[in-house]
Amino acid sequence: MRVTFKIWRQESNSDDGRFVEYEVDNISEEMSFLEALDSLNESLVQQGKGVIAFDHDCREGICGQCGVFINGRANGPHSNTTTCQLHMRSFKEGEVIVVEPWRAKAFPVIKDLVVDRSSFDRIIQSGGFITAKTGTAPEANSILVGKDIADSAMDMAACIGCGACVATCKNSSAALFTSAKINHLNILPQGKTESSKRVLEMTERMELEDFGHCSFTGACEIECPENISISNIAKMNFDLLKAKLFKG
Amino acid sequence: MLFVRKNIMAFTGLFLCIFLVVHLGGNLILLLPSETAHGLYNSYSAKLGGNIFIRVVSIFLYLSILLHTVYAALITSKNNKSKGKKYLVNHTIESSSWTSQNMGLLGFSILIFILIHLSNFWWRVKLGYGEIVPLDSNGLKDVYLITTELFKNPYYVFIYVIFIIPLSMHIKHGFSSAFKTLGLYNLNYIRKVSIIGNMFSIIILIGFSVIPVAVYLRGL
Repeated sequence: MRVTFKIWRQESNSDDGRFVEYEVDNISEEMSFLEALDSLNESLVQQGKGVIAFDHDCREGICGQCGVFINGRANGPHSNTTTCQLHMRSFKEGEVIVVEPWRAKAFPVIKDLVVDRSSFDRIIQSGGFITAKTGTAPEANSILVGKDIADSAMDMAACIGCGACVATCKNSSAALFTSAKINHLNILPQGKTESSKRVLEMTERMELEDFGHCSFTGACEIECPENISISNIAKMNFDLLKAKLFKG
Repeated sequence: MLFVRKNIMAFTGLFLCIFLVVHLGGNLILLLPSETAHGLYNSYSAKLGGNIFIRVVSIFLYLSILLHTVYAALITSKNNKSKGKKYLVNHTIESSSWTSQNMGLLGFSILIFILIHLSNFWWRVKLGYGEIVPLDSNGLKDVYLITTELFKNPYYVFIYVIFIIPLSMHIKHGFSSAFKTLGLYNLNYIRKVSIIGNMFSIIILIGFSVIPVAVYLRGL
């Protein structure tokens, strides 16, 4: 299969960056998108050129490390997948594939396609936990949790923090990520006691990290590899309004 | 700040939706046979101007338009600052509706229309600028005459019909979004609210575009 990769190359955050085109003809349709990039990098090494930097880890869609903007969509042409789950058969023979890093002020480019997503870590650090003693696992039946609540919490906790929601959002808003991280704790009895504090602090951190407002375009839930529902954002808004009105 | 701003947008937006219902309801009088409509419309206008409750509400109305506009500007400016470099290729249309991506542009068109609309009626009837408003046989300001005169001009009919389209689109996305901003998170209710929003936007589209066309056709 022969395709042309048009890839964003940027030496460092202070570098301006530019697109570079690479024609490749030695890839098969069975290759994953990242394997095609690996293959391209191998040939760059053989030519003595610098390799294209991109994030990846598990390559089975669960770690949230990979993630690039491919042909105008976060993680490529399919909805609700990670970049590593994308295969070259999704592209046509001879196609020009434009590959760009996530674009958001809160996600500065480190090199080429690698962006700094530590703003997400700081949002988690501001309240995405429960205050409990560590040690041996507590008795599982001492706090009963209904099946529906447990399932719902798991659906939200599925967020892998990949940043596709921010990348695709016209306002670079982190509302989907932050709401998933708030709600999966707030819905459980262990997280409920600190719910007001959590929602206030995490949303405040989100704003400090320079993410934009949520316009409910719904693009984030289309691109989210974990199918996190946009209703989470509404739930976060509800909890936040409640916390602001009744605090103290 | 993010949420305070969005909540103000949602509250003022929904208040403006309620206003639109009342505004459309009152203006449907214009579709009645002209003899009935003439007297009824003028006495309706006079009652609106004279009622203290309506006067108080109208202050909220002006304030809502102002706040909705000012906060839209603030929010857009913050969003623009949050954006990184522009994507070379961005197929947003595959993941979201055009309307939801262009609420600012639609809102701006509505603002232009509001200015045209105010200069046609409010400026003259309420503030008394421009040509003096004639009185009808009951001694009331003849707003019916002004309206029918305006819609004798096909350009105005065209402007009024065309500018209702962005309003209708803005409501289609804005109505359900406002509820989500205010915290309506139950998926079942979200679906119902968005159906209501869609129906509301269609009613606004048809209702407000039929009036100028009907008035124009009657005046031919």
